[in-house]
Amino acid sequence: MKNRLRVLRAELDWSQADLAERLGVSRQTVNAIETGKYDPSLPLAFSLARTFKRRIEEIFESEASRA
Amino acid sequence: MTEETPSPNPADAPVDPLYTHPASPFLQTEVPTPVAFPPPPNPTPPAAIYSTWVLYRTQIEFGLAILAYLMVLVGSIVVVQANPDAGWRYYVVVLPVAPAAFVIWLFMRALARLDELQKRVQMQAFGFSLGTTALVTFGYGFLEGAGLPHLNWTYVLPLMAVLWALGTAIISWRYR
Repeated sequence: MKNRLRVLRAELDWSQADLAERLGVSRQTVNAIETGKYDPSLPLAFSLARTFKRRIEEIFESEASRA
Repeated sequence: MTEETPSPNPADAPVDPLYTHPASPFLQTEVPTPVAFPPPPNPTPPAAIYSTWVLYRTQIEFGLAILAYLMVLVGSIVVVQANPDAGWRYYVVVLPVAPAAFVIWLFMRALARLDELQKRVQMQAFGFSLGTTALVTFGYGFLEGAGLPHLNWTYVLPLMAVLWALGTAIISWRYR
């Protein structure tokens, strides 16, 4: 699933490791989400939204929303 | 030819045709006031410096537990070989099971601490390891029936461990 994670992270000048530490996951997980190879679970998606102070729909772009 | 001195009369000052020419599309406006940008965000706090114990706690615990297992194993073997007819030798030879059980407990705790992607990777790696081990052992069982030498069943666990490591590497690479 496409997302704006890398952009949001760059705006705050956070590395993948910084974001992973804030979310309580591994850096590999953050990288897999950014590259679209892994879709986070619902709790992790909410955790991302809280961390960036955005709505989930502002971070992730589903195929249905693009149609 | 000498340059003429400029006339002191302001009315005679050269006029910029950029704004005064009748056909000029440009409008001379006032200089805009500078925009007051918000102050820069708080700088990223410096990364916390963790001790070696915090960063590598799992590996250190595993290493110590395996070291304890090896020490108890060697000690039990030495004691039993020195006392081959002792009645308590059965209790001594099973002593390494205790640190081995501790290693398994640490392993289960490490699995529980994995995040969601790591759990998915490990689940797929275990499935790959189990399936491939079954395939290999069943296949060799058929070959044993055809005449190949019988292999000790203790080879199964190392085979499963190697396939598990291989599966973890392959599946992790897919999520890189």
